Amino acid sequence: MTKPKVAFFDFASCEGDQLQIANLEEKLLELLEHVEVVSFREVMKEHSDDYDIAFIEGSCTREADEARLKKIRSNAKIVVAIGACATIAGINALKNTRPLDQVRKEVYGDNAKWYETYAARPIDAVITVDFKLHGCPIRGDEFLALCKALLTGQKFVVPDYPVCAECKLAENVCVFEKGMTCVGPVTRAGCGACCVTQGAVCWGCRGLVDDPNKNAHKEVLDKYGLKAEEVMNKFNLYFAYQGGPK
Amino acid sequence: MNAKILTKENLLSFVQNLIKTGEVVGVTKKDGKFAFDHLKRASDLVLDYDVTLLPPKKYVMPQRETLIKFNVKPEVKVEAVVEATPFTLIGVHPYDLKAINQLDRLFEENHVDTNYMKRREQATIIAVTPTRASKWSFWSSMNSIFVETGFDLLLTDIGGRYAVEIGTAHGDELLKKHAKFEEAAPADIEKLESIRSALPKMCSADRKINALTHEMTAILEIHRKSELWEKRAEKCYSCGSCNLICPTCYCFDVKEEIDLNLKDGSRYRVWDGCLLEDFAKIGSGENFREKRADRFRHRFFRKWSYLAAKLTEPACVGCGRCSSVCLPDIADPVKVINELKEEK
Ligand code: SF4
Ligand code: SF4
Ligand code: SF4
Ligand code: SF4
Ligand code: SF4
Repeated sequence: MTKPKVAFFDFASCEGDQLQIANLEEKLLELLEHVEVVSFREVMKEHSDDYDIAFIEGSCTREADEARLKKIRSNAKIVVAIGACATIAGINALKNTRPLDQVRKEVYGDNAKWYETYAARPIDAVITVDFKLHGCPIRGDEFLALCKALLTGQKFVVPDYPVCAECKLAENVCVFEKGMTCVGPVTRAGCGACCVTQGAVCWGCRGLVDDPNKNAHKEVLDKYGLKAEEVMNKFNLYFAYQGGPK
Repeated sequence: MNAKILTKENLLSFVQNLIKTGEVVGVTKKDGKFAFDHLKRASDLVLDYDVTLLPPKKYVMPQRETLIKFNVKPEVKVEAVVEATPFTLIGVHPYDLKAINQLDRLFEENHVDTNYMKRREQATIIAVTPTRASKWSFWSSMNSIFVETGFDLLLTDIGGRYAVEIGTAHGDELLKKHAKFEEAAPADIEKLESIRSALPKMCSADRKINALTHEMTAILEIHRKSELWEKRAEKCYSCGSCNLICPTCYCFDVKEEIDLNLKDGSRYRVWDGCLLEDFAKIGSGENFREKRADRFRHRFFRKWSYLAAKLTEPACVGCGRCSSVCLPDIADPVKVINELKEEK
């Protein structure tokens, strides 16, 4: 069997997801027994347009991105969006909630006119995406699970239930009982509720579940004393593209 | 009534001796609450607790349990796995023990679940009489104040000293081998009895279901089509929290994982919950309980009707955990059943 060829691409992102993959170290070497990497800026200089599986990190934030995405789509048999920026437009979409001119000036100052930019979108707003690896950043073990599924022809299953389920399995005390709030009840699980386990809250980086009960959660956040604006901020951090409660 | 007496010190050294000779799991502090955990030293054990975050079920039915190991290359080989080694569980409250007794029956009938039964055989259970109840608990309403079976030893704090009731020959042996105890004096027995008789009042007065357990089943049946299900479920996250923390929920999903060498792998099971959206989804993609309200109602019928018929009483022990974890506050059996009862 010839090894499938794999390439990595990045758009508007921090490259944190590719770093998670590079950090797999020995496991990555083991994976290389089964696949051939032809393009991976994080760890190598070479590049080739001959690949089967494309892993794409980052959001589409300008017109030039669209052409590049379409080219990747036509080269690859399988396209995987990796990380919140690619799957749900991530924190890039925060800028969508404000006037773009203002955002551009804040970031690029006097040079603003040289930088083309429009509202951030996830990859599947432009091209068909076959698989999504959620999270900000993604989890190395989920990346490996997808690779194994692709290599063996098994189904790759992403949880479609809220983070709360995994938070219960982790036997955490709910942050709502500790005077904090979180968006775990509407966020797609798969991370093991790691942020809550480590003493923080869930910010929603894996995006909304398929059928989130946003209104119920808005009500709960109200009940726990959040002001309307604070509720919107909670939802906007990661769900600005997907949309908050009505 | 027959009991032995352990001073606090003697109880501690009993536990310490158990730790020296094997795996011991007990109630410990966790983030301002309580959780069953591996006991490193006897002094970490907390017997004066209200309720644990997860029930002790997690030791008889682990969250993840390997069932089969397999190789696909060079040739296909399959090996059944039973992960069971001896352990002692200390600090189990009667309602949680009653739940384990129910699981024992459910896993034994029809198709005997070997993995469960083998693990269960390895468990020594030292139960403890509650000294306080969580504000959500309603075990008084669910016949879960006392249990007569399932424990090897039962501890009751009778004021700085512990009365120990013996449930099994194995418990008796453990005590004789590892503890320094005395026989209970008539005054101790009197104290023990007065503590037991006060237990039914331990759950707060507003945590009472206004019906006997068999009446609860009838109330549900009559109100199967009530608007209450739909109304409450409008606020449901489908987060499954009310399943995953429940001592009597025993549904699981079976999954497979292959190693990175693409040769070896395992089949394992993990906890599942009927409130999760995909729970009743089958291979073809069809979902038998697609609507939140159907899933929300199913949990009640499962526990108070379907399983009640098998077990002769509801599969709810009134621990109150589901009530406490449900952020939209819709899952509480006390409110649900009392509200249904008031309906015409
Ligand atoms: S801490 Fe957040 S994720 Fe965990 S149970 Fe509470 S709301 Fe859900
Ligand atoms: S707990 Fe929430 S914020 Fe943290 S990794 Fe999981 S989904 Fe992302
Ligand atoms: S009833 Fe409550 S705890 Fe249960 S799934 Fe719905 S929101 Fe979650
Ligand atoms: S249904 Fe609720 S109260 Fe009853 S045993 Fe389960 S978690 Fe406890
Ligand atoms: S059917 Fe639902 S409520 Fe019943 S045991 Fe299974 S998960 Fe628990």
